[in-house]
Amino acid sequence: MMETGAILQVRGLRKNFTVGGGHHLVAVDGVSLDVAAGETLALVGESGSGKSTVARCIVRLIEPSGGDVAIDGQSILPLEPRRLASVYRRIQMVFQDPNASLNPRMSVRQVLDEPLRLHLDLPRTARTERLHELVEMVGLTAAHLDRYPHELSGGQRQRVGIARAIAVSPDIVILDEPTSSLDVSVRGQILDLLLDLQRRLNLAYLFISHDLQVVQHVADRVAVMYLGGIVETGPTKSVFGAPRHPYTRALLSAAPVAQWGVARTRLRLSGEITSPIDPPDACRLVGRCPLAQPACATAKPALIDIGGDFVVACPVATERIPTC
Amino acid sequence: MSGALLEIENYSGGFRAETGELTPILHHVSFGLQSGAITAVVGETGSGKSLVALSILGIQPPSFVRRSGRILFRGVDLLGLDDKAMRRLRGAEISMVFQDARAALNPVFTVGRQLADVYQLQHGGGRSAAMKQAIEALRRVSIPEPERRARQYPHEFSGGMAQRAMIAMAALICEPSLLILDEPTTGLDVTIQSDIMELIVGLCRQRGLTTCLITHDLGVVAETCDAVVVMNAGRIVETASAEAIFTRPRDPYTQRLLSASQLVEAAA
Repeated sequence: MMETGAILQVRGLRKNFTVGGGHHLVAVDGVSLDVAAGETLALVGESGSGKSTVARCIVRLIEPSGGDVAIDGQSILPLEPRRLASVYRRIQMVFQDPNASLNPRMSVRQVLDEPLRLHLDLPRTARTERLHELVEMVGLTAAHLDRYPHELSGGQRQRVGIARAIAVSPDIVILDEPTSSLDVSVRGQILDLLLDLQRRLNLAYLFISHDLQVVQHVADRVAVMYLGGIVETGPTKSVFGAPRHPYTRALLSAAPVAQWGVARTRLRLSGEITSPIDPPDACRLVGRCPLAQPACATAKPALIDIGGDFVVACPVATERIPTC
Repeated sequence: MSGALLEIENYSGGFRAETGELTPILHHVSFGLQSGAITAVVGETGSGKSLVALSILGIQPPSFVRRSGRILFRGVDLLGLDDKAMRRLRGAEISMVFQDARAALNPVFTVGRQLADVYQLQHGGGRSAAMKQAIEALRRVSIPEPERRARQYPHEFSGGMAQRAMIAMAALICEPSLLILDEPTTGLDVTIQSDIMELIVGLCRQRGLTTCLITHDLGVVAETCDAVVVMNAGRIVETASAEAIFTRPRDPYTQRLLSASQLVEAAA
C-alpha cells in the first residue's frame, strides 16, 4: 500500500491517563497506521492492549494526548469539536455492544434518521427513501424501521448499528469488536454483510478484534498491538503464516482451532500482561519473552521494515527466524 | 452406558411465568457423563446448556418447573433428594466452576479464607491447617506467590488468576468425583484461556475426574474433550465422540455450528 493512497493516517498517536498519585497510565504509546481506500486493516490484541482506545482517539471520542490523525491528508486533531461534523461524514464507527450503543428510547427509524439530518441536507422525502435503502442494504426490512432495540435480536441490532454507520456514505468505518457479543452462527452472517457492503460501497475498514479467526477471514492487513504499541504489521497471510514478533507467535499459537487433530506448538510467555502504569523505556514484552536479550531491557525496539510490507518491533526475532 | 457416573434421562421442563403460563425450555434431554472422561455440552445462547448444568446441582432458578425426567448420579435420582442430602453432595461429590470467577467469589473475604472455609466444611480440621491446604491448592494451579495471594481479595486478582483460584476450590479443595465447568474461559484472553484449559485438562486427567464442560466454543472442545453433546433450542441434537463431531458430524445443526465456528461455507 502506498502511503499517499491512505484514507486514514495515524502517526505517533499517544494517550495517557492520569491515575492516582501522579502516575501515568500509558494506554496508547506512539501508534502509527495507514488504512487505504477499500482495504481492511485489522487491529488485534488482547484486553488492555489499547486497541479500543486507538479507535476512540481516532474519532476523538476521547482526546489523544499526542500524535496526529489525518483523513485524506487533512489533520483532524486541531479541529474545534463543532467542526468535526465534516470529519464524521468521512469516518464512522460501529461499536461492540449494540445494546449499549443504541438508544433504547429511539426507534430504528429515529436512530438512522439522526445522521441523515445532522450531516446531509436532504428533503424529508429523500431521507425516507434513504432509510428504506439503508435497512434493505443491511438485510432488514421496512417493517423493522418502527421497532425499538429491545424488539430486535442481537444480530439485528448490530445490523442497525452498521446501517447507522454507513448512513452518511463514509469512506472508512471503524469496527470495534463488531461480532464479539454475537453467537457464532450470527457472527458469520454479520461478517458476510460487512464484506458485501465493503465491496458495494468501496469502504475501508479499521477492524478491531481479539478474535483471530475473524481477522484472518476479513482482513487484508493486520497490526498486532501489545500494551499500547504496535509490535507487528503485515499482510494477513504473512502475519498468520509466518508471524515474527514473539508476542504474535504466542498469541497465534494459543488460539484454539475448531478442527480435529490440529497439533499446536505453543510459544509461551511467562506471567501475565505487565502494568501499563509508568512503563519503563524497554521492550513491552521484556520479562515475559523467551527470546529476550539484555538489550531488550534498555531501549524500546523500533519498528523494523523487513520487506514485503512487513514491519516488526523486535530486532531479535527478525535476526533469528529465517523466512518461512 | 455402564460406565456413566451421571445420567440425565428424558429431562424436560420450562419457566413458569407469574401468570401461570409455562414456557417450555428443555425437551427430553438425555445424555450421560462417562466416568473419567471430559464431556462437552455445546450450544449457543439460549440452548439450555447452562440450565442443564444448574439442574444437576439443584440450583436452577426457582421459576423452572420440571415436567419429566431423572438425573441419576451413581444410580440415585438427584431430583428426588431433599435439600439436606443435596447439600451433602454439593462440593463433596459434584462441584462447579462458573463463568465469571471474580463474581462467583465473595468480594469481602480473602481468596485464601474462602478456600480454607470450604476445606474446613468438607474435611473438618483446624483453621490454620485449612489455610495451609488453601495455599497448597493455589500453588498447584500455578498461582505465583500463593502465600501472598491467599491474603488478597478477589478484586486484586485478574480474571485468569481468579479462575485458577476457583478451579483450585472446585477441583482440589473439594475433591469431587464430578466437576462441572460452565464457560470457564469465556471472557478471558486467548493466551490465558489456553493456559486455563491446559490446567483443567491436566487436573482432570491426573485425578481421573469426570468432567462436564459447558461451552459455546468448539475450538476449546476440539483440543480437550472426549465426548460432545450438542444442544440447540433445549434439545440434544447429537451426541458423539469428539473426533466424530469434528470429522463426521451427522446432524445438520452440528454441521452448521461447526462451519460457522470455522468460518467456512456450510456444505448443506
